Amino acid sequence: MSDALYRLESVAYRHAGRPEPSFRLALDALTVRPGEVLALVGPNGAGKTTLLTLLGFLARPASGRLEFLGGDPWADGERVVAARREAVLVTHHPYLFKGSVTANIAFGLRLRKLPDDEIGRRTREALSLVELDGWDGRPAARLSAGQAQRVALARALALRPKVLLLDEPTANLDAALGMRMEALLREIGPGQGTTVVFSTHNFSQASRLADDILYLSDGRRVEFSHENLFSGRAETDGKKSWIEPRPGRRIVFAGVRRGHVTCVIDPAAIRVTAAAGGPDAAGGANVFRGRVTRMETTDAATALVRVSGDLVLRAALPVRELEARGVSLSGEVLLRFEPEAVEIVGERPADGAKPA
Amino acid sequence: MILRELALAVWISLKTSGLAALVASALAVPAALFLAGREFRGKRLILVINQTWMAAPTVVIGLLFYSLLSRSGPLGRFGLLYTQTAMTVGQVFLILPLIVGFSYTALRQVDRRARPTALTLGATPAQASRVVLREARFALLVAVLAGFARAVSEVGIAMMLGGNIRNVTRNITTSIALETAKGEFRNGVVLGVVLLVITLGINILVQAGFRGRDSD
Repeated sequence: MSDALYRLESVAYRHAGRPEPSFRLALDALTVRPGEVLALVGPNGAGKTTLLTLLGFLARPASGRLEFLGGDPWADGERVVAARREAVLVTHHPYLFKGSVTANIAFGLRLRKLPDDEIGRRTREALSLVELDGWDGRPAARLSAGQAQRVALARALALRPKVLLLDEPTANLDAALGMRMEALLREIGPGQGTTVVFSTHNFSQASRLADDILYLSDGRRVEFSHENLFSGRAETDGKKSWIEPRPGRRIVFAGVRRGHVTCVIDPAAIRVTAAAGGPDAAGGANVFRGRVTRMETTDAATALVRVSGDLVLRAALPVRELEARGVSLSGEVLLRFEPEAVEIVGERPADGAKPA
Repeated sequence: MILRELALAVWISLKTSGLAALVASALAVPAALFLAGREFRGKRLILVINQTWMAAPTVVIGLLFYSLLSRSGPLGRFGLLYTQTAMTVGQVFLILPLIVGFSYTALRQVDRRARPTALTLGATPAQASRVVLREARFALLVAVLAGFARAVSEVGIAMMLGGNIRNVTRNITTSIALETAKGEFRNGVVLGVVLLVITLGINILVQAGFRGRDSD
């Protein structure tokens, strides 16, 4: 048939809420080829996890067509189990079963009825890949979030699936481990030919690792490649409008909007200056305070800084100006941008939360 | 009261109540798994009915089954009244809601991620259900043992459906009632101590189960 691993056409999924708020995902088309590394990028609530759940066959699309290896994985109970065995999902907060690290890693291998010596070998190999050699006998309940995430990854790697679905794989890891995890993803993806689909908030990470990036917002594919993506219900005073991604933190933009708006702010349009202590100078629109949590260079001349505070924002500035503006890692900074720098990339009517 | 009679009463208690706990668990745990795993219209009503049923007095259940099993009742032709089977059936009915309630709570406390994790690692739906049961195994053991303790210590059903027939349906609790009525307090106390030892044993088992869980 085709060389596609996954083929999705007009796939829609919605969960009705309780305990999570209701949500709808609608994708016109998506094809994933064998060996491809695909990143899903978007803000919280964009549908990244839901899509991973669909690709892992843990939820069934409400409508549309989802093909896996040229067939319908949901055709019958046996096929869906067989499909799940080829596409393993590692969630953002993975669950480890009660018992030891080994018992967790061996779980899927036992289901596949592998011989004991093979289970032992694969368990050791997988632990070694995530740099947890010798952790076999430790109780899973006593691991930190980062260790649990690595064990969960090892548990999936040991199964050698065709597809590895990773929900924010570096979210619980410190910077150094995050880099090693990225190296590992390169090794198992392009290195070993495993298809990897992973979600991230971090555009830079996506562009570093992925062959292709799918941008999602409000459960739909969006066509842009910016960071600083926010959405919310717009309010207006008749001249300008704003959304509040966090209570009391307004992103103001030009024009009158009343619906549910998704917007992006170009990192290059954000001015960064050291906060320099003292009373908060955050008067006026679109001024935010925060701390630099990450600095990297996208090319020799441009620095990309990630600032966490009032909002998580990424700003780009010339490397040579870092010192002059007093911008350093862990330093307090103020971020400003003009309402005109806010680009509206999506808008739905105010009642748009309901299914169309 | 001779020792043999006492031993037989203890055996009848253990046998009828143990069997009742097993049968009730076989019905209650799958029911709790079903209830804990999904949301549907009428679920709350089922839980309320279960809770109400939990509080039903043993003599009321005894009376209900007496009317069903007595010769003129709809199930009279089976000749079950005043048999150990009748005692077991009555006790199953008594402890079923208790085990459903405890198991439901136990299974609801299992992390919601356990089932999808098992599924994504390649488990069939039945294997994933077994994983959920295994994650709750100690709390489920507590539910079953609590059911057994309730059955072994009740007197109303054993008296009304068993009839307290010497060496046939006389168990510990009906023996205590009889011995006390006869004025043989010493025998009553001895049997009471035996009953306490049994419930103490159950508690020790439960505690051992919890210790096992803590060491995970």
